Amino acid sequence: MDLKRGVSMRRSNPLVATIFFIVLLFLYAPLGYLILQTFLNNPNDLQSGFTLNWIIKLFHSPSVWDPLITSLEIGILSASLALIVGTLGAVGLVDFAAFLPAAVQSLIMLPILLPEVITGLSLLLFFLLLKVELGFTTVVIAHASFSASFVYFIMLEQLKKLDPQMAEAAEDLGATSNQIFWRVTMPNIIPGMMGGWLLAFTLSFDDFLISFFTSGAGLTTLPLKIYSLMRIGITPELNGLSFLMICISTFLVLVLVSKEQSRKWVLKG
Amino acid sequence: MTFLPFLIILVMSFLERTPLGTISFHLNINNYLRSFEYIYIKVLFKTIWLALIATLTCLIVGFPVAYHLARSRGWMKQLGLILLFIPFWTNFILRIYGLVSLLGNHGLINQVLLHFELIKTPLEILYTRTGVYLGLLYNYLPFLVVPIFSALEKLDPSLREAGFDLGASRFQVFRRVVIPNIKEGIFVGSLFVFIPMLGEYVIPDLLGGAKEAFLGNIMVSQFFVMQDWPFGSAIAGMLSILLLMTLWIQNRWSRSNGFKKGGLDA
Repeated sequence: MDLKRGVSMRRSNPLVATIFFIVLLFLYAPLGYLILQTFLNNPNDLQSGFTLNWIIKLFHSPSVWDPLITSLEIGILSASLALIVGTLGAVGLVDFAAFLPAAVQSLIMLPILLPEVITGLSLLLFFLLLKVELGFTTVVIAHASFSASFVYFIMLEQLKKLDPQMAEAAEDLGATSNQIFWRVTMPNIIPGMMGGWLLAFTLSFDDFLISFFTSGAGLTTLPLKIYSLMRIGITPELNGLSFLMICISTFLVLVLVSKEQSRKWVLKG
Repeated sequence: MTFLPFLIILVMSFLERTPLGTISFHLNINNYLRSFEYIYIKVLFKTIWLALIATLTCLIVGFPVAYHLARSRGWMKQLGLILLFIPFWTNFILRIYGLVSLLGNHGLINQVLLHFELIKTPLEILYTRTGVYLGLLYNYLPFLVVPIFSALEKLDPSLREAGFDLGASRFQVFRRVVIPNIKEGIFVGSLFVFIPMLGEYVIPDLLGGAKEAFLGNIMVSQFFVMQDWPFGSAIAGMLSILLLMTLWIQNRWSRSNGFKKGGLDA
């Protein structure tokens, strides 16, 4: 293997660049084809001619708009909850974070480290044992508990960057600890909070697996809708929906990337 | 709030399911012993094997990509990185659906091949192991490119120049200077791809069909089909232990390597 790489380095650019473009083609082909299918008369036949019918139909079908609204509601509520929990956690733990045993820190990271399927199942079990009826509320709580870990780490970084002299100066000037928090710390971490909220919202909006386990029978978010349509088979409605989803995701990420704090989370998935 | 549910699943894995389908609070490790039965071990090894092959492929394909990016200059580099990740801005299920509509019997690949009469019957890719493999490759490749890329970026160019000045060939510089310096980045990056692959559920479910179940799929079916929560929890426990152990080893490994490097520098 070493030899092969060595050779590819010597001839360097043309070969390496070709591989790069083939990889890009591989990554874009599935989504590109989805978008193309949206405009085909028969999505499974390339030669069937083009149409705008599926897009027009999309705007008249409530079975698409209801899941979209559910997804937005869940996203907004769970992101807000995650922001509160994650920020409070970070504010409470920032001074001790360096002394916390590694084991405790990795406990907070569990939802990030472990596969989503385990997170989803353990949340499901949690709700079932508490005898909570699965539905809107459980999905919101599940999403929030998952994204709170991400918010926690974003906020922890933000708080560590704060100059401790600011708080000390405020203390010297006679501020109480409450005043220091609201008038010195808070204004400085608001940009981080906005980034954290947006990240939590995106995580929730895109989530499939955790919603799949904790939503029960009646609730349908957008990804769940796509999944259930996929199970039935490939339908034109599904392609319209995919197109809509691609547009929304692209918009969300453009907003997210414009926020410095969450950029690296987006790039690292 | 974030880890309480994990405690519950851990406790559950030591309980027992009664024939009536209820849970009895009789602490035992039978569930764990059961997960060593042949059929489960077979699935475990298949999961590890496929994840390993997919990780290695990601590495082999990802290296030239990272290398190309590291060699590019200025905005080309930024653009290249962003291009690599744009597909990942869309929903995960959607990406899988894209693959399904590409690989299926009526998918793009088969349509084109049938049209030009290169094949007589549609290629069976979807709902086979190849489908799962391509799904893993598709969804994890960029996440391995980034660590290799940043390791290459951090590499001090004067190290390579020194190698050339001392009369080494390009191949020698690559093998003796570049590789040892980015080894750690590659290893850590590979683990961060390999570990989530072990826990995959959706990719084997939607691209592999029933025959190509991963450990995650067996676990979920214990919960939803067999209604055996304790045993499902035990599989989750085993999987978590496996993953956390891998992470721990990686942590130890990079730490001891860090010490060695520090010693050399001093």
